[in-house]
Amino acid sequence: MSDPSEMTSQALAAIGQAQSNTELERIELEYLGRKSGKVSAMLSNIGRLAPAEKAALGKAANEAKRAIEGALVARRAELEQARLADLAETEAVDITFPGPPLDRGHVHVLTQVRRQIETVLESLGYQVELGPEVETEWYNFEALNLTAGHPARESWDSFYFSPELLLRAHTSPVQIRAMQRLKEPPIYIITPGRVYRRDPAEATRLPYFSQVEGLAVDKGLTVGDMKGTLLYMIQSLYGRERKVRVRPSYFPFTEPSFEFDVSCGICGGIGCKSCRHKGWLEVGGCGMVHPQVLRNGGIDPTRWNGYAWGFGIERMAMLKHDVDDIRLFYEPDLRFIEQF
Amino acid sequence: MRISYEWLGDFVDLDGVTPQDAADVLTRQGVEVESLTMVDLSQIVIGKVLEQTKHPKSRNDLWIHLVDLGDRKEQIIAGAPNAIPGSLVPVALPGTTVPNGKVVKDMNIAGFRAAGMLCSAAELLLGDDHSGILILDRGTPGRPLTSVIPSQAVMEAEITSNRPDCMGHLGIARELAAGLDRPLTRDFMPAFTGSADPPGRDLVKVGIDDPDLCSRYIGGVIKGVRVGPSPDWLQRRLRASGVRPINNIVDITNYVLLEYAQPLHAFDLAKLEGPAINVRRAHEKERLLCLDGVARDLTTDMLVIADATRPVAVAGVIGGEESAVTNATTDILLESATFNGPSVRQTSRVLGLRTEASARFERTLPPELALAGARRAAALIEELAGGTVHREWADVYPRPQEPVRVNLRPALIDEVLGTHVPLEESEAILKRLNFHVKVMGDGEWDILPPVFRLDVTIPEDLVEEVGRVYGYDRVPPTLPGHRHDRWTPLTQSVDRRLDEVREVLAGAGFTETWNPALVSYGKLEELRIAAHAMRVSNALSDDMDTLRTSLLPSLVDAVALNRDRGRDGVKVYEIAAVYLARVGEKNTQPEEPLCVAAVATADGSPEAGEKALRRLKSVLDGCISSLSAPACTYQRAAAELFHPGRCAAVVLDGRQLGYLGELHPTVTTGAKIEGRLVGFEIDIEPVLAASRTPRAQPLPRFPAVERDLAVVVEDTVTAGALLLAIKESAGELLEHARAFDEYRGAQVPEGHKSIAFTLTFRSPERTLTDAEVDTVISEIRLGLEKRHRARFRE
Repeated sequence: MSDPSEMTSQALAAIGQAQSNTELERIELEYLGRKSGKVSAMLSNIGRLAPAEKAALGKAANEAKRAIEGALVARRAELEQARLADLAETEAVDITFPGPPLDRGHVHVLTQVRRQIETVLESLGYQVELGPEVETEWYNFEALNLTAGHPARESWDSFYFSPELLLRAHTSPVQIRAMQRLKEPPIYIITPGRVYRRDPAEATRLPYFSQVEGLAVDKGLTVGDMKGTLLYMIQSLYGRERKVRVRPSYFPFTEPSFEFDVSCGICGGIGCKSCRHKGWLEVGGCGMVHPQVLRNGGIDPTRWNGYAWGFGIERMAMLKHDVDDIRLFYEPDLRFIEQF
Repeated sequence: MRISYEWLGDFVDLDGVTPQDAADVLTRQGVEVESLTMVDLSQIVIGKVLEQTKHPKSRNDLWIHLVDLGDRKEQIIAGAPNAIPGSLVPVALPGTTVPNGKVVKDMNIAGFRAAGMLCSAAELLLGDDHSGILILDRGTPGRPLTSVIPSQAVMEAEITSNRPDCMGHLGIARELAAGLDRPLTRDFMPAFTGSADPPGRDLVKVGIDDPDLCSRYIGGVIKGVRVGPSPDWLQRRLRASGVRPINNIVDITNYVLLEYAQPLHAFDLAKLEGPAINVRRAHEKERLLCLDGVARDLTTDMLVIADATRPVAVAGVIGGEESAVTNATTDILLESATFNGPSVRQTSRVLGLRTEASARFERTLPPELALAGARRAAALIEELAGGTVHREWADVYPRPQEPVRVNLRPALIDEVLGTHVPLEESEAILKRLNFHVKVMGDGEWDILPPVFRLDVTIPEDLVEEVGRVYGYDRVPPTLPGHRHDRWTPLTQSVDRRLDEVREVLAGAGFTETWNPALVSYGKLEELRIAAHAMRVSNALSDDMDTLRTSLLPSLVDAVALNRDRGRDGVKVYEIAAVYLARVGEKNTQPEEPLCVAAVATADGSPEAGEKALRRLKSVLDGCISSLSAPACTYQRAAAELFHPGRCAAVVLDGRQLGYLGELHPTVTTGAKIEGRLVGFEIDIEPVLAASRTPRAQPLPRFPAVERDLAVVVEDTVTAGALLLAIKESAGELLEHARAFDEYRGAQVPEGHKSIAFTLTFRSPERTLTDAEVDTVISEIRLGLEKRHRARFRE
């Protein structure tokens, strides 16, 4: 039987020299193992000892155990600290190595832009209204003062199924339908959706595209309110440095009528190649709703007035993302769609 | 419309107003100037051709000219033969830049030196004519061309359809004068009437058969004209506007069209039978040889100008060749009329012929303009072509233009614009635009628009007149804001709700596409999904003549397109309406259900297809659950586009939403796609309607027990049937059952399969003991044995 203090110092020395947790586990087992550990072995013959010796040996064994346990904890902490201190070298990886591709799909850029437009206008209290794409002649034209033979109809050359039924040339029919349904102003709505015109496909126009129109009907609305709404929308979408200009134009369903332009984002309005040296980019049309159109929607124009505007979602996406060919939006080439 | 800046100077003082300034004023007022071309002629000199010989060697037709340039002579080669000796021509010497952008160099063409270039009107941007060298009618060799032709500025402007008065230089000048606040130096109605005896109306008999289509016809008789070339200044202005000079009479009618916007026509009076004019619809099978040399068949819808026996012009569109003014003409009938706009447009469309005249008539011209134009043209003819104009023209005017008075409450201007415009300023603006303003006792304004402004009929039109001249950039932007006592609470839009579906699809690797809704009817027929298709009657082409009845073919095409561009493994989807005609109701709007469809590629083996199909099912389940709708079920079905053995109807609450499955091999091979395609298409609206706000369930307090069960059944028994049987015999303790493996082979008998399920048991009240679970499992086994003759693998 060995001397407890000598055994303890041997154990402490071994612990002090141990370089790994495995080594420490082996030492722990060697000394503190329940059956074959040296501390237990020390007590194996205790039964044969006199009571006084028994007590002394028991005490000595206990002290040895505690000392060894304490040393193990301390050494483990030291080793752990050393390991953590060295992590920068021991576990360094090539952080420049690229990750594997993520199998995640993309949301189409037109959906993204449409979503942005809706969000901005919803923040002003406008609500989304939808309507049918196959429309009647009355909703698409007559209700909007575009009577048969009207010279302005040329701008809305349409696809017909029968003399009364056609593909809507704008989402304005939804405005009429919404006024008829809601009846009582205030009405603040936007009408996103697909529209169709009989124009051959080219880089700047397609026979099908998507619009967002807006309509406000309330008391005492002004051209200034319309300008402010457009400016708020454009600045929210493109940045606060953008400006909006309205130019007088003509639509049979608004009076006065305007086209609205946005200051060029590339030159800031001075004039450059991308705005054809105009400083402004044409975006859409707008105006104060014609009293007859309000009447056609069942709204009394002596009590209420309104403004409305419309533009192509593709056009907005082209301006925002520098897309130079509208056909790309409807050609499901993943190389294009995945850019956004 | 092409506007010459120099021409505008005839009517308004442009001192200190650059062409750019003028363009800006016009654009701001609603005449959108789309481009401004400055034509700098200061570098071009005048030359006189001394000799002209054919180039002896060149394979192209070239002529060698010896040109006198005042202080020297140069040899210049040109490709047109019209610069005969004695001609005065514009010369661009080496080193100069011609207005069309061409830089002239010293050259040697097949052995002959060419020290410069003789210019055509087109090269100088003085017109569209590039067929020959521009021949000058005066000038001194060696002097700059600007000594006879000033440098020019040409604006291309878009005229809105409500302003036909702006389709002439006088109308544009009036806008400019109002914008600049300078006087317009030309009255609308010229004083000239002609004075020769006898009265013109006695010399020709004019009648209108159809006053709906012709509200006024003025015929002026001018005798003894000398037909010949127009003076240089007139020819130049025509060329600058893109009109080819012909002879002085025709040129003057075109000139007045470009000035007043009133189209005119001159007939050779000697060639008119009668002489009489009858404005009528064409008779059946009438035919007219037109001025452009084309003989056209006329229909009874078309309005014609006829003499006593036959049509001599298509009203408002084009004149006839036989009655045209020629060099032999001495007496003419000058026509100035007002035709119905829609009728002219229709005729011009049917004939496929749009002329300067039809472009103006189709916008509906005021009858008063016909008189102004006639007087202006008659005065010019007498001045430039001689002849005597007979007094008292034939003027048949069955539908006189009624003046439209508009009452304006002047406060409306501020109310609509949202800014304060002083009353005096509004009144001044209206007067500058030739409106008569009478202030009445109650403060309202009684306003008479000028006769050439048929577009102004309501007070709002007057607000626009004031606003556009006052300047909309002076209206401060504001946001509307009232104290509302009524509102509509915000409902989330369908598209925003569907963003949940987009998230699931994106997470599963599917990319969204937007595809055209117009597709080919033939293709739909081929795919046998044309039964409810809506076919366009005036399609642009066969490949987009019909509204699609399914989104799937577009997605199949998307896969093919990306495969062609080097991409395998494509997963795409679309959210859009399809269009289904209502059965038996020919002239009603179709159903337009909003659909979600997705397609994914798989390898060619049946196993690969099955695996992809199962995965797609999880994606669809995920989409539906993202909308907080109850789970849908799948029932074996058959549908067009789908594989007959691999197609399920997707059912929610007993309602069929659409189909999921592998696409039919013919659909895949039809698009030349190797491998297999899986897809689904469902009507999403019932799912949105079934959506419920999720309610929180208490978290389980006791642990669950999981058991696997491998069930061997005949091949025909479906997993769905087994799951149903399991649920029915398990009772309340079964929390969840899921099939996770399917096996056929050595371990199971021929014609059988083994399906493995994971069953999860839990009680809300206690921890389950093995014995309790064993009891339930035996119930389940019993049920499966009874209903499906199942056996079990341990």
